[in-house]
Amino acid sequence: MYQFYFENLISFIFAGLLLLSALFMITSKSSVHSVLFLVLSFVCSSILLFLIECEFVSFLFLIIYVGAIAIFFLFVVMMLDVKISEAPNDYIQFFVFGFIFTFFFILLIMLVSSDTFTLNSYIKNVIHMDINYYSNWYYKIDYLSEVKSLGQVIYTFYVLQFLIAGFILLLAVIGSTSLTSTGVYIGSKNQTPFKQISRNLKNAINVF
Amino acid sequence: MNNSLMILKNIGLISEMFFGMSLIYLILFGSVLSTHKKYPIIQKTILNLSILVLFLYILLNLNNNLSVTGNLLFNFTIIDDYLSFFSKILITSFCLICLLVIKKYIKDQKVNQFEYLIIIMISILGFFLLCSSNDLITAYLAIELQSLAFYIMAAFKKDSFFSVEAGLKYFILGSFSSALLLFGFSLIYGLTGTLNLTDLKDLFFFLYPGIDFTTDTSFNTELLQIALFFILTSLLFKLSVAPLHIWSPDVYENSPTSSTIFFAVISKLSILVFISRIFQFSFHGLIYNWRYFVLLVAVLSVIVGSFTAISQKKLKSLLTYSSISHIGYILISFSAGTFEGIQNLLAYLFIYMLAGLCVWSIFLVLRLKKFYLKKQNKDLTDMSLLIKMNSALAICFTIVLFSIAGFPPLVGFFTKMNIFLTSMESSMYFAAIAAILASVVSTFYYIRVIKILYFEEVIVGNLYYPLSYIEPFIVTSTFFCFMFFFIDPTYLYIISYKIGLLFYFF
Repeated sequence: MYQFYFENLISFIFAGLLLLSALFMITSKSSVHSVLFLVLSFVCSSILLFLIECEFVSFLFLIIYVGAIAIFFLFVVMMLDVKISEAPNDYIQFFVFGFIFTFFFILLIMLVSSDTFTLNSYIKNVIHMDINYYSNWYYKIDYLSEVKSLGQVIYTFYVLQFLIAGFILLLAVIGSTSLTSTGVYIGSKNQTPFKQISRNLKNAINVF
Repeated sequence: MNNSLMILKNIGLISEMFFGMSLIYLILFGSVLSTHKKYPIIQKTILNLSILVLFLYILLNLNNNLSVTGNLLFNFTIIDDYLSFFSKILITSFCLICLLVIKKYIKDQKVNQFEYLIIIMISILGFFLLCSSNDLITAYLAIELQSLAFYIMAAFKKDSFFSVEAGLKYFILGSFSSALLLFGFSLIYGLTGTLNLTDLKDLFFFLYPGIDFTTDTSFNTELLQIALFFILTSLLFKLSVAPLHIWSPDVYENSPTSSTIFFAVISKLSILVFISRIFQFSFHGLIYNWRYFVLLVAVLSVIVGSFTAISQKKLKSLLTYSSISHIGYILISFSAGTFEGIQNLLAYLFIYMLAGLCVWSIFLVLRLKKFYLKKQNKDLTDMSLLIKMNSALAICFTIVLFSIAGFPPLVGFFTKMNIFLTSMESSMYFAAIAAILASVVSTFYYIRVIKILYFEEVIVGNLYYPLSYIEPFIVTSTFFCFMFFFIDPTYLYIISYKIGLLFYFF
């Protein structure tokens, strides 16, 4: 019998949002909007990864793609000040090419996944995708999430490496600010030649 | 593990901890003070404070008696042995002298941002960590820390087009070589499942050299050889040896001279220490897989460095090419793979650094009076008839150049001769002969500089600004070091022999 699960609803919502934002990213005319939709699609995919308990990869998605690359794109796009271009409406020819390309891509993924992964025998219905009805409560009590276990390793065994990485980031901040800032000028003490040449007896001495 | 026990166990790295913390205090101090209402220039204060920090670092290291035990700290990622101890002391003392030398230069060139010295100090922290790293990840992070600081140091004179170009060039090529390094590391991790150098030594030290591993299907050394090749390419790129040297004359010439001292003199030591750790310590069992590549590169860089330097007109690029050929000599003794190889590597490197420090400080000290003050990229003719103007400086310069060229009454002769002897002993005759012939060629341009100093026929000599007391003190003390080490080279050889002996047994 079909049973409705709340987790599946959330994942379906975000998968749909991901597809929609990807579509809007392609079709929107303003490049700033495209980049914003790109960010939205990254956020959605990171939430999807979070739902299937790959927390570390999802955080990496957020930090690297959203935090660094997409924001960098956004800055570049906003700095270049691209006008809203009249996009040519030749979606059809791209559609054919893209369809063939995507078809082969999906075919490849299907082949690889069918070779390497085996289907869980507990799952009878494909649509309702919860993995196991049985859950080990001892395992749940001692459960360590991915991020937590990584953190336990990083903060104990690899604390020095973590500190060095922090120093690298500090160096990057110091270097980029000191290379880009032009320094503070408190007003120059140079003489302005124009002022000096145009100065004559009459306006130099004020007689009250 | 008990927390206090863990602190006691990792006490070998307390000097680096002190260094890092004092760096953060320096940053706080500088940023609070420099954004004060009157925006004071605190370059000199920060420089003096960093000299103080380096001095205290030396004291902390000298009082570290644990280094003889060669213990592994921080989950076996840091090694605290005699090699790291010696190289840290060496780096710190040379950096201290370098900071003293560049004081005047920074003031003249108006490098008024205090961040410059902070960045230099962070790169020095990178040297320390690289010298004592026993783990590939730690080494990668240390190399990144050091080279990222170098890119910024090369580009730091923002009003100079050349300096910015040098920084950009260094950044792009250096990050490319870092990518190669990471690729090699990841291949090693994929093949062996470990990143620890001691574990890698336990895996590969007892392989019998010369056995054909291609028939053994259990372990694929061919892929390991590719990984070693990538790592070696990247690290030799950072050392700027001959086929990978194209970036170095540009970067060295165009970046500000205070940065070039650090690139040319000090950065070589830490990378060579790491190369000898990874290749002589961990992968010594696979010596037949990497030895000929290193030897080829070494001989090529000796030849290229000797022949290309003849046509140079700028002193900076001449020194760069001479450093390329010196790294070639060092790599010849490195590829011998024996105790004497390590010993002579360290002895030669020490003398090279000493000579480099002396030459570069003479370069910085001489400030021409007739030109624009900011002109620093000296032609060779800018020093014509130095003997008439400043005879003591000219004599010091001559002695140092003779020592670099390897003339007998100086210590450079001993170190160079020992490198040829080492290569002869491990039956690398052709390499030794090629290096000897190239060194004969290389004496030509050293003598040409001496000829310019003494016998150039010019009508009008050059005028220089008077020297302050600290730079001539450094120049003369290095000059006396050359004399001293010729009369009594035992200190040099005993220390380097001890390092070479202790090196293989941890």
